[in-house]
Amino acid sequence: MNALRKTLLVVERDLRMFLQYKFLIIMRTIWFIAQIAFFGLIASHMVVPDLADIYFEYYIAGVVIMMLYSASVFIGYDIFEEAEHGVFEYLLSLPVSRRELVFGRSIGGGIRSFVFVGPLIAISLFVIGLTNPLNFLIALSALFLFAFGVSGMSITIAVGLKSSDRFDILMGALNAFIIRLSTTMYPQAFVQNASQAYATIASFNPVTFASDLFRWGVGIEKYLTMNPMPLAAIIGLVIFFCAFTFIGVTFYERRLEGGGWK
Amino acid sequence: MNEGILVQIIRTIDLTKRFGDLVAIDHLNLNIEEGEIFGLLGPNGAGKTTVVLMLSTVIKPTEGTAFVGEQDIRKDPDDVRKLIGICFQEPKILWVSTPWDVLNWHAKVCGLSTEERKKRVKQVLEDVNLWEYRQRNVHGLSGGMRKRVEISKVLIQRPKIAFIDEPTAQIDVVGKHKIWNMIRELRDEGSTIILATNELHEADILSDRVGIMHKGKLLVCDTPKTLKDSILGGDIVEIRLEKEVTQRALDELKNFQEVVDVIAVNPNNLRVYLNKVEEIVPQIMKLFLKKHLPISSIHMSEPSLDDVFVHYTGLTIEEAEQKRPSR
Repeated sequence: MNALRKTLLVVERDLRMFLQYKFLIIMRTIWFIAQIAFFGLIASHMVVPDLADIYFEYYIAGVVIMMLYSASVFIGYDIFEEAEHGVFEYLLSLPVSRRELVFGRSIGGGIRSFVFVGPLIAISLFVIGLTNPLNFLIALSALFLFAFGVSGMSITIAVGLKSSDRFDILMGALNAFIIRLSTTMYPQAFVQNASQAYATIASFNPVTFASDLFRWGVGIEKYLTMNPMPLAAIIGLVIFFCAFTFIGVTFYERRLEGGGWK
Repeated sequence: MNEGILVQIIRTIDLTKRFGDLVAIDHLNLNIEEGEIFGLLGPNGAGKTTVVLMLSTVIKPTEGTAFVGEQDIRKDPDDVRKLIGICFQEPKILWVSTPWDVLNWHAKVCGLSTEERKKRVKQVLEDVNLWEYRQRNVHGLSGGMRKRVEISKVLIQRPKIAFIDEPTAQIDVVGKHKIWNMIRELRDEGSTIILATNELHEADILSDRVGIMHKGKLLVCDTPKTLKDSILGGDIVEIRLEKEVTQRALDELKNFQEVVDVIAVNPNNLRVYLNKVEEIVPQIMKLFLKKHLPISSIHMSEPSLDDVFVHYTGLTIEEAEQKRPSR
């Protein structure tokens, strides 16, 4: 069996596992709908009346990326669940190399977050509309890289910390910084007005790249950070993906081969 | 065991594993021959599972190495894993999975063709009486059923080398016999089996050879028969007394020339290892009567692997488990 087939089997396993969490998927979907139907609609009326519709669309796109980020992080929690049940030892005993295993899990984590976010993207397209399908497909492809990268980051941190409590705290803190210091919820111009330092961080934030790309893809390009679009954002996401997938593999091998999970 | 030229399929060289200050495995040197069922025996905490995890490349040794089917576990772990299959002591299954999903995916990742996979998964699930539970969440299965799912992985995979850790833990008597037969069949189909267990009777009836481990060390390794024959005082007499035995009576018992060893399993129950049982038993009975220690029962038997363990460690397996070190 070749490496690709083994990697795909690891992906398949993660997808199957994710679909077992039906209540979680339903709960998050309800959260998304409530967030745009209530919070998004009300908050958009806090801005200048002429821009209310634009901000509403901007907000919906931001929430989609937030959901994609949090769904991609979920694989880290699965790793703790598996460690608790000893499934990790089982996975490490299989005729699959460590590289195939971690690569497959990053890809699996990314794909399943897309399975989860797919209906939400459809809802957002229904609300926002779609002007340029080609742009949208390019953006979607780059968002795959974003999801794989976030999954790789989550796996790397989970394996590095080996403590579910510390992982939970760190991911909470990271979520607070990475989402808020980005253009997910507010345009770059407003971030810059608040603080030059915030704006600099937001300019190099993968969540900003993903949010801006998605907005570019669905044709709401006002207030975007990157110029020219979409090249800078795509390059940023490729670097992010490579860093946490390929470097993560090395880290994963060292941390787990040196004496198991516990 | 297969006749002919014996090929060493596993060879450990000073294999050592430390967890902090605890030496879990201490310079283990062990050879396992192709096609045999090798029983790795010892109480809980003796290091059996750690050996299995090192040989299967799940954890790395601190010192030394091992060759599994010619592959070095340090240098070629990916190649080692292509040869092996493991039935873990505790079932390694997520509770949201179903037996069918677990086994079907396992068969896929082990490279079975679609047709072969479906056939084997169905066959093994039927053999271990889990076919009707195949779509039920593992959460809803009993401990014994989960263990049967775990051992099914190896039975479906039919690896060149199968590590089976406590195969019948939590399984009822009827199920045990069924699984023992399946393990024999697996061996007959060409697998080498390393059976890690603290059930000495299980090891005795299944193993071609056994290695007894205690505190991370291999104490002795041979066929069960050779090990049992090696005990001086090959006859065993179990004596149950109506009163607690006195130290003086014990000392006098040990003074008989034919008595090799006496173990007080509890104050009313003695296990005596001796020679010339026919001649000495009447004298032992006379001794206890003289000491006003009435005998409620007396039973003569052949030595078992329990006795071999006691002989080499000075402890019963239960005592050894109580004294095991903690990580």
